[in-house]
This record gives sequence, C-alpha cells and structure tokens, in this order.
Amino acid sequence: MRKSLGVVLALALAGLQLVAVTFVVFSSYFTSERTLLAHARSQLVDVGVNVIQNASWFLSPARGASELSTALAENRIVRREEVGDLEGLLFQQLRTAPQFAGAYYGDEEGNFLYVMRRGEDRYLTKIIDADAPAATRTELIRRSGDFSELDRRFDPLDDYDPRTRPWYQSARAELHSIWTDPYIFFTSQVPGITAATPVEGAGHNVQGVIGVDIEIDELSRFLAKLQIGVTGAAYVLNRNGDVIAHPNPALLKTVGAAGDLRFPSIRTIDDPLARAAFGNRPIENGIDFETRIESDFEYGGLQYVSLIMPFGLDDIPWTIVVYAPENDFIGTLKKNRAQNTLIAIGIAAITAVIGLALANRIYAPVRAFAVRSALISQGEISPDEPMPETYRELEDANTALVNQIRQRKKTETEYRMTFELASRGVAYIDGASGRILRVNTRFAEILGHGTEELEGRPFQSLLAADETDLLARVGANTEKHHAFSFEARALRRDRAAVWIRLNGICFDDASGGSGYILATIDDITKVRESEEKIEKLNQEIALVSRQQLMGELATGLAHELNQPLTAITQDVDAALFLVENWPERTCEIRELLTEIDQYAHQAGDIIRALRALIRKDATSATDFGIFELLEQAKRLIQTEARQNGLEISVSGGAEIGVHADRAQIGQVVVNLLRNAVEAISAGDCAERQIRVSARIAGDLAEVTVEDTGPGIAANFDPFVQFESTKPDGLGLGLSLSRSLVEANGGTIWHDAAKQGGCFTFTLPRKGLSA
Amino acid sequence: MIDDPDAGPLIYLVDDDETIRTSLSRALDLRGYRVRTFASAQAFLDGYDGTSPGCLLLDYGMPQTNGLQLQKHLRESGIDLPVIFITGHGGVPESVQAMKMGAIDFLEKPFKQSALIDRIETALEIGRERSAAKRARQEFRSRFDSLTEREREIASRMVANPAQSSSKEVGRQLGISPRTVDHHRARIFEKMCVNSMAELLEISLKAATSGDP
Repeated sequence: MRKSLGVVLALALAGLQLVAVTFVVFSSYFTSERTLLAHARSQLVDVGVNVIQNASWFLSPARGASELSTALAENRIVRREEVGDLEGLLFQQLRTAPQFAGAYYGDEEGNFLYVMRRGEDRYLTKIIDADAPAATRTELIRRSGDFSELDRRFDPLDDYDPRTRPWYQSARAELHSIWTDPYIFFTSQVPGITAATPVEGAGHNVQGVIGVDIEIDELSRFLAKLQIGVTGAAYVLNRNGDVIAHPNPALLKTVGAAGDLRFPSIRTIDDPLARAAFGNRPIENGIDFETRIESDFEYGGLQYVSLIMPFGLDDIPWTIVVYAPENDFIGTLKKNRAQNTLIAIGIAAITAVIGLALANRIYAPVRAFAVRSALISQGEISPDEPMPETYRELEDANTALVNQIRQRKKTETEYRMTFELASRGVAYIDGASGRILRVNTRFAEILGHGTEELEGRPFQSLLAADETDLLARVGANTEKHHAFSFEARALRRDRAAVWIRLNGICFDDASGGSGYILATIDDITKVRESEEKIEKLNQEIALVSRQQLMGELATGLAHELNQPLTAITQDVDAALFLVENWPERTCEIRELLTEIDQYAHQAGDIIRALRALIRKDATSATDFGIFELLEQAKRLIQTEARQNGLEISVSGGAEIGVHADRAQIGQVVVNLLRNAVEAISAGDCAERQIRVSARIAGDLAEVTVEDTGPGIAANFDPFVQFESTKPDGLGLGLSLSRSLVEANGGTIWHDAAKQGGCFTFTLPRKGLSA
Repeated sequence: MIDDPDAGPLIYLVDDDETIRTSLSRALDLRGYRVRTFASAQAFLDGYDGTSPGCLLLDYGMPQTNGLQLQKHLRESGIDLPVIFITGHGGVPESVQAMKMGAIDFLEKPFKQSALIDRIETALEIGRERSAAKRARQEFRSRFDSLTEREREIASRMVANPAQSSSKEVGRQLGISPRTVDHHRARIFEKMCVNSMAELLEISLKAATSGDP
C-alpha cells in the first residue's frame, strides 16, 4: 500500500523521538539499578565480614585462655592437684575477658573444678571431689572480684560428672582444643559455647580437660546494633541450621521435647522474614559452610537481597545470613525513575506534536504540488500557470511533468488526427458487448454510414448475416495484445455487399474489465474481384496451356498411334493374303486377328489418355487412381522419350486413390515428364532414365518425377513465371503446375539435393480430403 | 533367315518398334519376299556386307542414329542400296531431304500395302538396273584400260569432240598422218567391241552418267 508522504514523515519523526527517549530512559533504568544492587550486595558482604570479625574477636580469647591454662597445667606451673592453684588460674582467666562465663577443669577421675561468673564482680567456685562421700562431694565457694571468699557450702544433690559431658569427651577424643556446638548455658540461660583443651601427662595420656565457657548473646546484641540498609537484618546459624545469634535474643530460646532449652531451627524460628531469607536450602545434612551464596527473595510483597556467608574460621562451622529489602538501596531510585518516565513521556508528547507540525509543514508544498498535478492532468488548470513556492526538486519534477503533459497532449492531438485522417477504417469495439465505441471517418465511409450512427451499434450488425460472430472469433483470447485477422462480407447502408479485411488487437482494461478491441478495416472488394478474375484467368491459362501441350504432343502421339495402326494394316494384309491363297491356314489367321485386336486396343488406350488430358470441364475433382494416370501420361510422352533414347519407369505398390481434377493433374505429370525428357536430351547424359513413383504420405499421396539430367542450378527457382532454363521455354510450365497442384489442395517442390531434376507433388487421398 | 546372296534380293527392314518389325516382315514374307529385320541402324550396319542386292525399308524416327543419318552414312560409304523410308510422323522437310539424298519414297505409316509392294518392286528394279549399269561401266573401264597410250589419246579426242572425229582432223591435231589414225581407230573399235563411232559414243556416255568416268 502506498502511504502519503505526510503520514510517513509524521510517523518517522514521532517514532524516532519515541525510540530515542525510550532508549535513554531504559538504559538509565537498568544501569543505575544494576549498580545500586551491586552496591547493596557489597554492603551485605561488609556486614557479614564485620560480624565474622566481631565474632572472631569475641571468641578467640576463650580459646587462648583455655590453651594457656592447659599449657600452665601441663608444665606443672600450676599444679593440677592443688585445687587452690588451679582455681586461681581459672579465676584469673575469667577476670581477663568479660565474655567468659566460666572456666573449669575436669579430670579422668571425675574431679571437677569450676569457676564461674555470678553477676557483677561476684564469682562462684564449684569443686567436686570424686573420692569424697556424696554429702561433701560437691563444695560451692562464693568469692568477690578480689578472689576473697564470701562463703562456702556443700551441695549434696549435685551429681555432676565432667567425664560424661560433651566438651570433655570431644576434647579427649580430638586430643587438641575444640569448640563445642553452641548451646544455652544451664545456669545463666544464655547462649554460649565452650572451648575445651585436653591436658596431657607423660606419654600423651589425657589427664583431664580445661574448658572455658563464652556467652555468645553478645553476638546477638551486636547483630541488633548493625545498620544494614534501613530495615535489613542478620543472624547466625550453626552447622545444623539452628539460629544461634539473632537481633532479637528472645527468639533464641525454645523448649525442647525433654524440657531443655535449645536454639530454634531456622525452619521453625518465629521470624518468617528470617526463614524466607534462608529459603529452602537444605539443613538436614548440615549446612554447606564453605560457599558464599548471593540471592534475591520476595517476602510480603517486597523484594529482598540476601547473602549467605560462611564464617570461614577454624572449626567454627557457622554461617551468617544477611538480608535487606531492595528498596533500602534503590527505593529512591525507583521513585526517581517513575518521575523520569513521566518526564520522558511528556517530552515525547511535546516532540511528537512538534514533529507532526514539522511534518505537516514539510509536507504542505508537496501536497499543494500533488493537488496541482492532479488538476493539470484533469485539464482543470493549465500547466503554464505559475507554480506556488516549493522545493527545488519538486520544481524540477513539475518541469518534467509539464513537459510530459505537453508531449502527451501533442501526441493525443496527433493521434486524434491520425485516427481521423487514417486511410484505413479504425474502430474501437467494446470487448464485452461487441458494440462500437468509436470509429474514424474512413471506417464510416467504407460501410456507407455516418460516424454517429455507428457508435453504440453492435459491430456484428454491420456484417452479412452468415458471417462468424466477432466475439466468437476472439473467444477466450482476450489476453493482452492478442492479434487476429479475418476477411468478411459487410453490408453497407444501401445493402450493397462490401468485402473487408479486419485486423484486430485486444487490449486489457486497466481496471480489470473485459477491455476493448482495436480494429482496422480495409475495403478489399476490388482485391477480391481481381483475385476472382485472376482465378478465372488462371483456369483459362491452364486450359490453353493444356491445349498447347496437346499440340506439342501431337506429333509424338501421331507416331504412337501410327505404330499400332501400321501393325494392324500389315496384319490385315497378311490375313487377307492368307484367306485368298491359303484359307486353310486358320491358325495363323486367328493369330493375326488376335494381334490386330490387341493393337486396336493399344491405339484406344492412347486416345483415352489424350482425351483424359484434354477434357475441358473446369475444376471438377474426382476420385481416381494415381498409377493409372501416371501410366497414361507415360504413354503420351513415350514417343518423345523413345526418340531421345531414354526410358520412363513407373514404380510403386498398389494403386493409390486420390481426389483431384484428373485433367489438371495429368497436365502436371505430362509437363514434369516433358521437362525431364528435355533436360536429359539437352544434356549429354550417360544414364537416360526418368523414374516416376508414387507413395502414401499420411493423408496425402506423393508423386515424384526424377530424371538423370543435369538438374537445376541451386540459385534458380524453377517455379517462377517467365523464367526458364530452356532456350525457347516461356517459363510457364512449372509455375502453372504449381498453381494447378495448389488448386487441388497439394504442394509441389523441387529437391535441389538430388543429382538430376527431382520434383515431388502431393495430392489429397481419396476420401481423406478436407 | 539365312542370308543367301545367290537366292535373290533381300528386303532389309530397320525399325525400333518390334510390332512393326513382326507384322511387316510377316506380311512381306507371305508375299514371297525375303525379309531381314534390324532393331537399330547400328544393328543393320553390323549385319550388312555392303554389296548384297535388295532394298532397305528404313524407319525415319529411331533413337540414337535415325533413318536419315543412316541413309547419309550409307551414301558416304558408297553402299548403293535403294532406300524406302517409312515414318510415323514424317514432315515435309524431312521427306524432301530424304528424297534429295536418293530415297525411293517416303511412306507415312500407316501405308497401303499395295503402295509398299509397288515401291519395293521399284526399288528392286532400280537395284537391278544399278547392278547392270555398274557391270557395264566396269566393262567399259576394263576395255578402255586395254588401249595403248596413243589409242587412249585418240579415243578421248574423238569422244570429247565427235564433230571433229574424222581421221583427217585427228591426224592434223596430233601431227600424224590420217592413215595412221585410221589404223588406230580400227584397233580402238576392236578393243572397245564397237562397230561405229556412234556406238563408242553411246557406251562412253553410259559409263559417264552412271557414276565414275
């Protein structure tokens, strides 16, 4: 579909600026968001690292204290057996680090020494003597910050055995310092972990284990104080997915099935957001505490970014989970973005309006030009009228157009005049109705009507009633420029017949209709009349020529007839003589009479052949056998041939029936034979033969006359009238032969490839002629 | 048919048409003529010895050598056989030429048998006469040849100018005595088998008119 230039301009301008604005908006949209999200993640990592460092700082003294105490004990700097020494050492340890909740030593015998913090500047020592009776087995000593004893008492209900505790067993099994899993301290109900170190005696025998308890609620408090985005949070998981540090410490204590306090699993903690942050990552086989995972999740209609990051500290298999809503980082950005989009739409709308106005302005001269062109082509205004101010290109186009129009008008005028003044009749005929649309003067003249009378009249009504319908002649061939031609009899207004030749061309209708026929007609009445005259003259010439041929043949024929007649007279004489002198010799007489009969018939045959050729009845085609005719013709030429010492042979199979004018075809054959005889006689030929043959060739019979003469020069057309190779020939023979053969529906040709003369003609076969 | 020269004259028939040869030879044969046929001029020339008496029935129109050409050939070869032309399409010019060349007649086919017989008889007669003349001329020549040089000279003068054939005249011309001429004349008459001057003139004239002198 063709589009208006205005529409194209408007669409192009508006579309272009829309694409530009959209591109700018979207590119900033995506790049800024990506940058901020990356920033958010790095912030989360910072938080994670911070927490880990904090925890590390927080935990490492415990291990140090535990290992130091062990070293002191192993090197006998502090004697394990001396409860007082050991208690002092442990007490010192507690004093150094406020996060230590307690320090203790248990040995293989089940003895146990435990110094624990009891509130501000108060300590409690528990001493278990495994060997003592149950009543005095466990002794509790309360001390102040300066190690001075406040009071002491026994606790007979205590049946604590250090060797059954996990920290003891782990350290003893591992033979080096270990961390226990976090748990909630029984006494303080605070979450914590224990660093335990085995104390070895001689030969690496484990003598006992020193442990230091660290409360890790400090970690939760640290997490609560963290600023992660605006509303972000972090928590810490141990290896089996329990939450061991959380900004809200209250959530960390749950009651187990056995009534004990324990950490909540991340699956069940009463903080759905925290649960969502961890997602469905597996915990059943332990948390993967080596891989850092960055991900997004959605909770409560908000989009969050999260980071799951392992601690990466020695034998502390903890994982920190940090998360924060995206909006904390890109909220403002999103707000800005909406604003920006609105502004962009506004700009797009404004530029679109400007674009349309601009397009309209650019297009205006073109539109004016188009209107003007249309008016000019409709002839409403003159092409010479000044052109409104416009583009140079359009002015050029206008000049070209104006020239074109002038040229066209000139051509139209020329055509109109040519049409009117043409020496042939011209008519436009409607392809569908066959009615005449327009005719020129000559057309009307030929048909003896006025031009106005003819227009609108069916063309067929001008022709004689028995003429084929014009549209039927065209038939389905209405394709572009189909040309046709025919001759027909038309009737003038005065009912006089006039022969016309019509040449027609079909033209398509551009709008898909049936189109029209452009027909030119010539008055060929006179041509027809002269053709008929020529036809008649031709027949007369043929007859005259035939008669002349007979004249020429007469001498030879007389001889041909005289031979049997002479033989007859001789035989009659002989017979008479016998009858007179020896009438008894009847046998010889009969023989003579038989011969006489035979000779008389021979003579009769010759007469018949002659009569067949000389018959006068004009063009009456009959059925006859071609071989019979050939034999008769041979008969007529026989004498001439014999005198010239040449032989005529007629060869072929069974008789072939043909349909033609017998006399005329006889004339053709005799003519060809005589030509052959003359050709051979004129030349000095070693072989003197004329071969006549006939055969069937499809619907035609084909007759060939071939001679051994010198033949015909390649550049000589033997069928042209008044040209002859014979010194005294008129050149009518072959030309006439051709007319006669063609008049009988055959063709005649000369085969120049043959050595001698070789002429062949065809005739329609009996019963097969059209 | 055996060509027997002693059996009398032969009729030689030359025609390329077999029917004519058959019917004509049969008709003549019945009438007692001896006929020999030839299909062409060449066949005749091959078969004829050149001297046998008789007459030639010659078809005018034949392929290759036609009748007129054969007649001319025979004449040029000194063969003195009377010719009767028979023709199917004889024109006046051809017949005139044939007659000029000494043909007995020019018969157009078909001809009356009586006319043919008549011409054949004439031809045979002419043949016989020609034979007789020939014989006379040969005799005159042989007698003339028997004369001496002087006798031949005297005889020639006498025959050439019979008005001055007296012995006296001849003697004066030759510068010899009339008596001597008389003796020579007597010898000439004896050798030429004549009795008078008139007789000598007659035989010499006959020999001159019928061919070579």
